Amino acid sequence: MKNTRSMLSSISTVMGNIRRYRIAYYLLIPALILMLLVHFIPMIWGITISFLDFDVHTINDWSKATFIGIDNYINGLNPITTIGERFLRSLWNVTFYAIVVLSLGYLIAMGVALLLNRKFKGRIIVRGLILLPYIIPDTVAFAVWRFMFQSRIGIVNKYLLDWGWIKEPTLWLIGDKSIYAVMIASIWKGWPFTCLMLLAGLQSIPDDLYDAARIDGASAWQQFKSITFPLLIPVTTVLLLLSTIWTFYAFNQFYVMLGSDPGYQADVPSTLILREAFTSLHYGIGSAMSVILMLIMIVFSILYIKRIKPGEEIV
Amino acid sequence: MNTRIKKTIKRVFFYLTIALVLAWVLMPFFWMVSGSFKSTLEIQASDIKTPGQEPTWIPRRPTLENYLTVNKVVKIADYFKNSVIISLGTMIFCLIIAVLAGYSISRFKFPGRHPYTVAVLSTQMFPGILFLIPYAVMFIGVTRFTGIPMRDTYWGMIFTYTSFALPFSIWMLRGYFNTIPREIDEQAQIDGCNKIGALFRVIIPLAKPGLIAVGIYGFMMAWGEILFASVLTGKDTTTLAIGILRYITTQENRWGGMMAACVLTSLPVLAFFTLLQKHMISGLTAGALKE
Repeated sequence: MKNTRSMLSSISTVMGNIRRYRIAYYLLIPALILMLLVHFIPMIWGITISFLDFDVHTINDWSKATFIGIDNYINGLNPITTIGERFLRSLWNVTFYAIVVLSLGYLIAMGVALLLNRKFKGRIIVRGLILLPYIIPDTVAFAVWRFMFQSRIGIVNKYLLDWGWIKEPTLWLIGDKSIYAVMIASIWKGWPFTCLMLLAGLQSIPDDLYDAARIDGASAWQQFKSITFPLLIPVTTVLLLLSTIWTFYAFNQFYVMLGSDPGYQADVPSTLILREAFTSLHYGIGSAMSVILMLIMIVFSILYIKRIKPGEEIV
Repeated sequence: MNTRIKKTIKRVFFYLTIALVLAWVLMPFFWMVSGSFKSTLEIQASDIKTPGQEPTWIPRRPTLENYLTVNKVVKIADYFKNSVIISLGTMIFCLIIAVLAGYSISRFKFPGRHPYTVAVLSTQMFPGILFLIPYAVMFIGVTRFTGIPMRDTYWGMIFTYTSFALPFSIWMLRGYFNTIPREIDEQAQIDGCNKIGALFRVIIPLAKPGLIAVGIYGFMMAWGEILFASVLTGKDTTTLAIGILRYITTQENRWGGMMAACVLTSLPVLAFFTLLQKHMISGLTAGALKE
């Protein structure tokens, strides 16, 4: 009896809240519907497909797809099968790629942000120019890099040859060097964003901290180590979490520079899954591999969402 | 004297570093523009091993050939039109929907606001490839059961991209709305507006920089997206991001044409950027990672 009453009262509170905030909910409806249809329902559906025997025969009649448990996961991760071996390799490739691209990109960004934090003539123009790689569309950027990395007609090999670093034209876009070519292009495309964020962080550090340090006789390196870097840690953490997630899902740079099949040494999960699902028409295995990819990234995602604390700054 | 020399050396070193950074940033752009003015013959015949035939920064015989024939083999003009329609559509729908949602979570303390915001942000953490597979399957299903074409239609793409641009746009606009003091809406309400009236008459005009930033973000997202476009567009809706790749086939490499198409594709983006740089930069830093 008591339970029923408290339940009824809580229901009426909920109803009252809904009525009270009716407008707020109405305003959310379009966004909610769209995100349900494009993000959440497909995601749940995708996780479901990963447990089904879903391929070209069953795509036209979903009810015929049988539940096969974790077979898709076993197939996707089994190093003995071709697809399993390639998937594991693609996970390794993207990890290696992410470590190199994120660390070098961050170093360049930090260096340039420190330079741009000083006052000099033309600073605004320089800041605008360094953002160009970030704002142009991915296709354009990576198509141009693909042209530059051509072995016979490309400008990269021309300089390497001129400087005596190579004797014969290197094949950049095929085989074991291709992942490095993509790394260079990706660093070029990605660091300006990091730099912009770090610069915003630097500009929020009060000058008197440095004045005090200078009076105490701290060198430039000591100032960086004990003032600048510690104060940039929050920005850095958020940046690294976000870019780790994005880098692990990398697709565009590999697809544009190396094609839909970048080859064993440069294949990444996104390109592999795309082929497995839409060329080989193994939707089930493809979905299972994407779920695995998402699970690997879930730690970073939770850390990121915790970091930005969406509730706090609401007035 | 000594300190003055030291200072000058430091200065020179500083500007040299800046110059080096700019060279690294701008090199591909020069290569793109120079490539777009080289004849197919010049590009094909160039060879780093043959003296006198090396690829050069300045075209040996500059030509407009690539721009004049840019549409000849690859139907880049159609792709351009498709991209304009899809990107503008995305921009408009995204703005309308994100303004409503952003206003709602900025101004009302309704129950469920917090989980909703987390849900909005968490969509940024899914791999695109995970929902591409079921999404494509859903497109097929919708068409089968209702007869409404989804794949390879403008509205299917606008629908998709609007939804992609929403999470970030809502988050960004919420930030802008939060900076507008609530007293302003209250004043508007005293003056006889209801909450919705206050949004349109007072808040939207004040949040104009935010709206510009969000609009450009939506446009550029749709302009450059590759993964979903590679599966969901077809012969009627191919966007530039996919179309550009068609200059390189197994039979023929039209690098000159591709570079010309790249220049044309970058122009709208660069125009936005030059005109509205301030809004874009503030939008990027304010929205992306506000702590």
